[in-house]
Amino acid sequence: MNEPLKELLYKIADDLLILGHRNSEWTGFGPLLEEDIAFSSMAQDKIGQSYVLYQMLNDLGEQAPDTVAFLRNVHQFHNCQLVELPNQEYDFSLVRHFLFDTADALRWDMLTQSSYEPIALLAKKIKGELRYHTLHANTWIKQLGSATQESISKLQHSLEATMPYALGIFEESPYEKEIITEGIFAGEEKLKNRWVAKIESVIAQTQLVLPDWKIITPVLGGRVGQHTGHLQPLLDEMSEVFKIDPGAEW
Amino acid sequence: MKPKKSLDQFGTFEVFVQSKEGKPFQHEGALHAPNLEMAYVLAKETFTRRFLCVSIYVVDTRDVFVSPTTEGNQSAYDLISGDDGVSEKRTFEIFHLPKRGKQHVHVGTIEAGSPQVAIRQAKDLFGAGKIIYNIWAIEKNKIRFTSAEEKDLWNTLPEKKFRDASDYKGGDKLKGFLTRSQLPDNGNR
Repeated sequence: MNEPLKELLYKIADDLLILGHRNSEWTGFGPLLEEDIAFSSMAQDKIGQSYVLYQMLNDLGEQAPDTVAFLRNVHQFHNCQLVELPNQEYDFSLVRHFLFDTADALRWDMLTQSSYEPIALLAKKIKGELRYHTLHANTWIKQLGSATQESISKLQHSLEATMPYALGIFEESPYEKEIITEGIFAGEEKLKNRWVAKIESVIAQTQLVLPDWKIITPVLGGRVGQHTGHLQPLLDEMSEVFKIDPGAEW
Repeated sequence: MKPKKSLDQFGTFEVFVQSKEGKPFQHEGALHAPNLEMAYVLAKETFTRRFLCVSIYVVDTRDVFVSPTTEGNQSAYDLISGDDGVSEKRTFEIFHLPKRGKQHVHVGTIEAGSPQVAIRQAKDLFGAGKIIYNIWAIEKNKIRFTSAEEKDLWNTLPEKKFRDASDYKGGDKLKGFLTRSQLPDNGNR
């Protein structure tokens, strides 16, 4: 019975694949050449990490990585809704990057202790990639969160609009108890507490103001396959070339 | 043309890369950024997305002391003068341009009260008997180094061969295609 483990791997992989694809949409459109390159590289890292997780799932009896990435229907994706939201202006993508990647890095840090060895090994291996992602996010947030009135108010607006979706990252799995007792992962509740502390410590170094956690209603449903209308068009575009000839060798 | 407003353009920062442990840092290029820390963050992907890297550092272009540039048999070390004034000693990183058109390479560290004095001291230690076409001296505490714990930033880089055109063996595929199209017998293969 590997269902709890598989469910965990799927949701992590799906978050990374979908956000990797979203962030890659900035390639060629970034606000600075250097930032365009950095954001594209991190998007590529996310797709790469999702690929290794899909391979892991393949080893557990699931279909091949390309099949699960390109041929599942929208309700079979377990990503949180935060990652599927369409790009807006760059401030939104930066805020999403900061909120998601902070959680992602903390999740992988907790997974270094996982009883499931392949995921613990992967967590150690990608530590440097995650270090860069959070260094990049924190540096930008600190920079623009204290720069000009315009940059501060743009980030503030995005922060408030994005926060309910960010809390959806921590939607609990139907197998939460098993995942924790089997030592696979210490659980969403613990992750969320660490995330709140980290987000607060970075925002405290800016002129941004965090909304009151108690009055935010998390946007849930992504983890059980309920999505916004934005995911289907993303999947269509992402799998467009693959579907022309699924057997093609690249 | 009207001069640009002061906020219209970011300043530039110089980026140095160490490709392997034990190898000297080498100047790789410059980038625009609003400050030193942003420059470090952006330099990492701009200059070390591909090929090998174990560490980088960056410095504001204005913090690089640049010697005169020479040609032929003249060494830049022979053209350094001035500023013997007594001031507090600082640590300077010294860089050589050993060949025109190449990159500046780190050669060592000197304690001195000014970049000019540092370079004059560097001459005996690093420049004796050589022709060096240009010398840089950079005060160490102006540099944003990679910390010991940040060394893992490049851990997975050697596996990212897909970022390099050579990984796609395009030349081989093209050659194969041309060979096939020149031999009608093989046209259907």
